[in-house]
Amino acid sequence: MKRNRIITAAVAVSMAVTLGLTACGSDDPTTSSAPQNPDNTPTEEAPEGATITMWVAGGDTPDELRDYLKTTFEAENPGSTLVIEQQEWDGLVAKLTTALQDPENTPDVVEVGNTQSPTFTTIGAFRDLTPLYEELGGDKLLPSFVEAGKADGKNFALPYYFGSRYMFYRKDLWTAAGQEVPTTLDEFAKSVKELKNDKMSGFGIGGQDWRNGISWIFANGGDLAREEGGQWVSTLSDPATIKGLEQWQDVYQGASIVPSTERDIAYWDLLNDGEGGADPAAATIMAPGWARWSIGDLTTNDDGDEVRDGMADESKFDIFALPGVDGGVAPVFAGGSNIGISANSKNPELAENLMRIIFSDEYQQMLGENGLGPANADFADSLGTDKFAQTTIETAAASKLTPAAPGWAAIEGQFIYEDLFQKIADGGDVTELAKEFDDKITPLLNM
Amino acid sequence: MTAIEVTRDAPEPVTRTTKAAVSATAVPRAKNRRKIRPGKVVISLLGIAAALVWVFPVYWMIISAFTPNARLQSTNPSFFPTSATWSGFTNVISGSGFVGALRMSLAITVLTVLVVIIWATLAALAISRFKFKGRKSFLLAVLFIQMLPAEGLFLAQYQMLSKAQLVNTIWGVSIIYIAAIIPFTVWMLRGFVAGVPAELEEAAMVDGLTRSKAFFKITFPLLAPGLIASGVYAFLQAWNEFTVALIALPARDAQTLPIWLRSFLADSANKGIDWSQVMAASTLIAIPVIIFFLIVQGRMTSGLVSGAVKG
Amino acid sequence: MTDTIAPSAAHVPPDTTAQQPQRRQEPSGKKRRGKLVPYLLLTPAILGLLAGLGYPLYWQFTTAFKEYGLRQAFGAPAEWVWFDNFTKILTDDAVWAVVVRSLAFCLVNALLTVAIGLALALLMRAVSAPIRITIQIAMLLAWAMPMVASVTVFKWLFNYRTGLVNWVLVKLGMDQFENYSWFSSPWTFFLVATMIVVWMSVPFVALSLYAGLTSVPDEIVEAARIDGASSTQILWRILVPMIKSVLSIVLLLQIIWDLRVFGQINLLQQQGAPVGSTNLFGNFIYEVGVGRGDFGTAAAVSLFVLALTMLISWPYVRSLMKEEENS
Repeated sequence: MKRNRIITAAVAVSMAVTLGLTACGSDDPTTSSAPQNPDNTPTEEAPEGATITMWVAGGDTPDELRDYLKTTFEAENPGSTLVIEQQEWDGLVAKLTTALQDPENTPDVVEVGNTQSPTFTTIGAFRDLTPLYEELGGDKLLPSFVEAGKADGKNFALPYYFGSRYMFYRKDLWTAAGQEVPTTLDEFAKSVKELKNDKMSGFGIGGQDWRNGISWIFANGGDLAREEGGQWVSTLSDPATIKGLEQWQDVYQGASIVPSTERDIAYWDLLNDGEGGADPAAATIMAPGWARWSIGDLTTNDDGDEVRDGMADESKFDIFALPGVDGGVAPVFAGGSNIGISANSKNPELAENLMRIIFSDEYQQMLGENGLGPANADFADSLGTDKFAQTTIETAAASKLTPAAPGWAAIEGQFIYEDLFQKIADGGDVTELAKEFDDKITPLLNM
Repeated sequence: MTAIEVTRDAPEPVTRTTKAAVSATAVPRAKNRRKIRPGKVVISLLGIAAALVWVFPVYWMIISAFTPNARLQSTNPSFFPTSATWSGFTNVISGSGFVGALRMSLAITVLTVLVVIIWATLAALAISRFKFKGRKSFLLAVLFIQMLPAEGLFLAQYQMLSKAQLVNTIWGVSIIYIAAIIPFTVWMLRGFVAGVPAELEEAAMVDGLTRSKAFFKITFPLLAPGLIASGVYAFLQAWNEFTVALIALPARDAQTLPIWLRSFLADSANKGIDWSQVMAASTLIAIPVIIFFLIVQGRMTSGLVSGAVKG
Repeated sequence: MTDTIAPSAAHVPPDTTAQQPQRRQEPSGKKRRGKLVPYLLLTPAILGLLAGLGYPLYWQFTTAFKEYGLRQAFGAPAEWVWFDNFTKILTDDAVWAVVVRSLAFCLVNALLTVAIGLALALLMRAVSAPIRITIQIAMLLAWAMPMVASVTVFKWLFNYRTGLVNWVLVKLGMDQFENYSWFSSPWTFFLVATMIVVWMSVPFVALSLYAGLTSVPDEIVEAARIDGASSTQILWRILVPMIKSVLSIVLLLQIIWDLRVFGQINLLQQQGAPVGSTNLFGNFIYEVGVGRGDFGTAAAVSLFVLALTMLISWPYVRSLMKEEENS
C-alpha cells in the first residue's frame, strides 16, 4: 500500500500548500487594510481607536472636501481614523445591497443617490437619525431630500448635496442663426429645432436620458407617480404627463441627433468646438452646473496640461434656465445625494460625529464653494453670486424629485424609464406606451 | 441536437483538442509535401486577411494607447502611429489603484490556478484510473454544476464570505473562483489522464525507477499539455471575472483589474472619455495574459521535449 | 505496447505521439485500484466545491421557493411561497422572450464560431508555414485579450461619434452611417455582441480544430487526391469525418459557454442600449436579483435555466454515461 501513502501525502501536501497560501493571503497588506475592525466591540462610551469608513458615490465630492473631512474627523476623534472610499454609481445598488446588511464590512456612513434613498430607508438599512435631525440643521435642510430619506415618520437619510441642471448653449451659433434666449418651453423647442442640422444637434440629448427628459413632464404639471392611500400608483397616463412626454418627443426628434440609446453621457463634449474649429456636435445641452469646467476653449493650466477655460469667452458660451410652459423657470429634476449611517455600523457614535462635521457650517460652506448645492439652505450663498450660481439657485428652487416610493431603486435598477424614454424617442405612441408602462411600474413601486 | 452527441469511437477528444490547441504554434507541422498550386496565392491572401481581422482590434488598442488623446478625437483616424507618447501609460500607472489592482489580480489568479490544477488533477486521476462507487454521480454533478447560471448566486456568495470573515480577502474570492472553475478542469483533465497509458509508468518502474520518479518523468510530461490547457482556462476565467469581484471585494484598495478598469472608465466618462488612457489601461490588463501565454508555451514545449527524450 | 510507444515518443514530435489512439481503462489500471485511494484523491476537489458552492447552491434551491426581496436580505423573515415564483416566471412573457433570445443567440454564436473556426483551421492547413504562424500569433493575441478590454475596444470601434467603423463606412460612401448608433436597436446590438463573442471564441476553436487536422495523416489525403478526389470531397469525406469528435466536443463547449454569456452583454449595455430587449439569461437573472432586489424570483429563474440546459444537453449526457458504463 505504498501507493496509498504517496497519494495521502500528495493530497495532504497540496491541501497544506493551499492553507499556507491562505495564511500568506491574510498577511497581505491589502487584506489588513480592509475596513474590518474585529477588535472593536461597540460600547456605550465613545469608542477609541476605531476606523470608520465612508462611501462616497462617484467622483462628485472633490478631493479637497475629502481631505477636510478626514483631517477634521481625526482631529476631533483622537485615535480614530476615517477611510473615504469612492464607489462608482454603476453597480452601487448591488454593493449597497450586500455590504449594508453585513456588520463586519458595512461602510459606516454612506452616500446614496437621492432616488435610491427611499428603497434603502424603507427596508431598515439605515440608522434612525431623528434624534440628530434638529442638531444637523432641522428645517433648514432641503425638504424634498429630507422627505426622500424618511420612513414611518423617522429620518433615516439626510440631504448631502444637490445639483440642478440648466442649459448651456453656444451663444455665437444661436446669435448667428438669429435665435434669442427662449422665455417659454415652446420657444425653446422652436429655436433648437431650427438650429439642428445633419452634423449638429440643436439640443443634444440622448433618447434614454429620462432624468433630463422628465423636466418636460414636471413643466406641464405632470408627475411620474403619486401615493394614494398608502399605495404608489404610476401616473404616466395622466393628461399632463402625456402632454409633457409628447413635447419631449417632439424636441428630441426635431432637435437631437444623439442616438436614442444614449443616457448620462458627457454632454459637455458636444458643446466644444470640433476638430480645427469646426462646429460643435450640439448647440445646446442640459447639464449640472459643474459641467462648466469641461466647456470652453482650450487653454493651458499652471501644470502645463491642456484644459477647458470654463466658458471664459462669454460671446461664445452662455447659460440659461429651462423656461416653463408659460414662462418662468421649468421644474427640473433635482440631482443630488442623501447621506445616512448604516444600521449595522459598529461605531455609530463615531459615524454621528462625522455627520456633525458634514453638516457643520464650514463643510456646508465648502460644498457651495465647490459648486455642490449645500444641504442647508442657509448656505446657498456659498455657491457664489455669478450667473452660474444664480442660475443654480434659481433652478434648484424650482426643482423636483422623483417619487419617494420604496421600489424606486428597483425601477432604476431595471432601466425601466430608460426603456420608456427610448421608445418615445424612437417615435412610439406616447399614450399607448404610457399605459403599458403604468401597468409595469405600479406593482414595482410598492415592491 | 445530434451535434452534441459525442461518438463512441473517439472517447476522449478533449485530450487531443486542447493539448494540440495550445501546442499548435509550438510544434510546427510536418513538412508540407504538396506542390504549390495557383489557388495557393488566393488561399495565402485569405490567410493574411484572417490574421489581420483577428489582430486588428489588438493592434488598434495598442496604437491608440500610444496616441495622444487630442489626436484620437480627430475626425480622421490614423492607422499608423504618428506621434507616439507614453503619457497614456504613465498616467494610468501613476493614477489611483492600478498597481494595487494588478497585485490583487495576480495574487487571486495565481492562487486560483495553482489550487485548481492540483485539485483537479487529483480528481481526474481518481476518475479515470479507478472504478469506485459514486464515480458516476460525481461526473454528473461536475457536468451539471457548470450549467447553473452564476448570476443568481451573488447574495448567497456574499453572505457566505461575510460569515467566514473573508470579504475583501484574496482567499475569499479565490474559493468562489476555484469552485466555479474546478468542474470544467476536472472534466477536461480526465481525458488527458486517460490518454496516458498506465503501462508507460509501470514499464519505467520495471526499469528501476521509483513510483514518484516514474510519475514525474513519464506521466507528468505527457500530462503537461493538459495541465497547461486547463491552466490557461483557469487563468482566463479568474483574470476576467468581474461580477463576483465587484461585491466580494467592496473595498477600493482590494479591487481587481477588471473592476479597476470599469471604475477607470466611469471616472473617465465623467470628464469626457480619454480613449488614449482607456486603451493604455486595456493594454496593461492584457500584458500579463500575454506573458502567461508566452511562459506556458515555452514550458510546455520544453516539458514535452525533455519528457520525450528522457522517456 | 509499452516498448513501441516509449521509443517512438523520443523521436516523433510529441504532439503526434500523444494523439495515437490510446487504450484507456487498461486491465492493469483496475488491478491497481485501492478502495480508499480514489476518494482520497477526490477529497480536495469535493471540499473545494463544497466550500465555494455548497451554501450558495443550498441558498439558491431554498430561496427559489420563498418570497425573498431586499427586505428579507436585510433580515426580515422570508416566507415559503413554494411554487409561486415559478408560476410567476412561467406566465411572464418577458421570461419567455429572454428564453427565445438566449437560445437563438447561443445557437447562432456557437454555430458561427465553429464554422469560422473550422474554416480557419482548414486555411491554416493549406497555407505555407510563415502565413500559418502569422495566423496563429494573431489568434493567440486575440485569445489573450481580457474580456473587459476586448469589449472596451469594440465599444470604441462602434462608438457613434468617434468610432472607426462609422468613419470607414462613411468614407466608403455610406453616408447613412454618419453618427449611426449601433447599440440602439436590439438587432444591431446583437450584431456587435455576436462579433465580439465570435471574435473572442474563434481562436480556441480554430487552434483546437487545426490540431485535430494535423493528426490526419498526409498520406491519406494524398492517396485520395491521386484517386481523383476533388478538394470538396476530400474536405467532407476525409477531413471532417476524421475530426468529427473534436468538432462535436468544441461545439458542445461553445453551446454551454454561449448560453452563459453575461459579461459582454452587461458591459455593452452600459454604453446605453435597450436594456429590456437585450437581456440574455444571465443578464436577466442579474437584473431581477440585484437590480430589482427580487432574489426569490431570480433564484427561480436560475433553476429554470438549469433545468432547460440539462434538458438540451441530455442526449450528450446520456451517451457520455453509457460510454462510462461500457468502459
